[in-house]
Amino acid sequence: MPRLDRLLPWIFPLVLLVAWILVSATQMVPAYLLPSPGKVMHAAYHYVLGEPGSVPYAGRFFNDLQASLLRVVLGFGLAVLLGLPMGVLSGRLTVFQKLMSATINSVRAVPGICWLPLGLVWFGIGLRTTVFLVALAAFFPIYLNAAGGARQIDPILYQSGAMMGIGRFRGIFAILLPAAMPSILTGLRLGLGIAWAYLVLGELTGVSNGLGAIIMDARMLGRIDMIMVGIVAIAVMGRLSDDALKTGMKLCFKSARRVP
Amino acid sequence: MSRRLKLVAQPHAKETMVALQAINLSRFYTMDGAASEVLSGLNFDVMPGELVCLLGPSGCGKTTLLKIIAGFIAPSSGKVLVKGRPVAKPGADRCVVFQEDALFPWLTVAENIAFGRKGRMPGKALAAEVDRYLEMVGLGPFRNYLPKQLSGGMKQRVALARVLILKPQLLLMDEPFGALDAQTREEMQTLLLALWDELGHTILFVTHDINEAIFLADRILIMDKNPGRVRREMVVPLPRPRKKESDAFHRFYRLIRSEL
Repeated sequence: MPRLDRLLPWIFPLVLLVAWILVSATQMVPAYLLPSPGKVMHAAYHYVLGEPGSVPYAGRFFNDLQASLLRVVLGFGLAVLLGLPMGVLSGRLTVFQKLMSATINSVRAVPGICWLPLGLVWFGIGLRTTVFLVALAAFFPIYLNAAGGARQIDPILYQSGAMMGIGRFRGIFAILLPAAMPSILTGLRLGLGIAWAYLVLGELTGVSNGLGAIIMDARMLGRIDMIMVGIVAIAVMGRLSDDALKTGMKLCFKSARRVP
Repeated sequence: MSRRLKLVAQPHAKETMVALQAINLSRFYTMDGAASEVLSGLNFDVMPGELVCLLGPSGCGKTTLLKIIAGFIAPSSGKVLVKGRPVAKPGADRCVVFQEDALFPWLTVAENIAFGRKGRMPGKALAAEVDRYLEMVGLGPFRNYLPKQLSGGMKQRVALARVLILKPQLLLMDEPFGALDAQTREEMQTLLLALWDELGHTILFVTHDINEAIFLADRILIMDKNPGRVRREMVVPLPRPRKKESDAFHRFYRLIRSEL
């Protein structure tokens, strides 16, 4: 069983890959719409390991990755800094919840792309607009999950703490946050996922480097293979950063350890 | 029974000797504009080292009464004195063992037991103290388990140990064994009596199980419902250890049965 368990996640991607090979080998879809896996792999190789300048996009990967990672980390960090305390506050204080919920729920309904023109006007093209979009998008899942987690804590845990002489302030760190940790972690993971999505949105607008910028640039040049390389790169980075977040939280907080 | 000797040797006047005093306690709840009286003019005393059972049908306000004594909620009128001092808020001098599972799910057995004294004594001394109470409730081998890995009886052993380590003068127990199977319940009752004998706490034990009350109590307070008040007080005349199969036990059972 354990061997099958480890195989299971790979089955679907492999099926997709085989289908892709078949489709491009039989020319069912023309190559200018769907390049062959070999061509995409070739492009990926040059993008990651190629000598810069040898072919277009060669060797640019780490530079793009660094730029994108910085934008995601800054935007996500900002979202955590605002979303976590505000979420916990709104979960515990009805006054705060009533004060904020109408606003937050309306703003939440606005699609991220609507903020792009405003971001461009306010912050110009580049790092600051992207960070603004990423932070804005990641804020909502973090805020909402922290609020939900803080709201649903069983009062008996507070009573237990109170009878053991745990005051309100210590209770925040000793009881409230650990008890809400599963929801908080869910919010952080959702937020980080959305951060990568909005990174691409932020980078679509004329910045010269970044994984999203590559995708847009490749479209202009008709390099479908590079678009696919960019997509895969973002998928892999999203997955890796999610794992890193989960592992990091489990290392830092006892209360995150019980989350599967 | 060293406990009894201690009790006799106390040279104080009766007034200061009372461990717990409920004076004219009443508690109203308002629902849809109509006030309902949960507790009405409740009076009773508990002496130091005494084990008193509050026996009554569900809905008679037993849990409300315990919450008032613990300081989680305030009475509508009347007051509670613990060692002559009025109760205003929860404190480690009156510890509650709750009916349901109130352990911190993110902490191990040992961490749950250490919780109330963490940061209040040197780490090494605390570890030794935790070991002592782990052994006392027979959970030594389970120190690193999480609550969700424990059976109901084991959870209540942890709940007992985590308050005993605080050395409370008064132990408040809210149907702590109500959710356990019959055999585990008897084990826990025997364990509680052994610990009581060793540590000499004052215990107020809420139950709706007549057998449990007779098995444990020095004195039984029988409660009425609608509104909740103490209807009768009975000293249990049976010598310890009590046998639930004995004729005397059955006779006393029938006597109380007729009162309910």
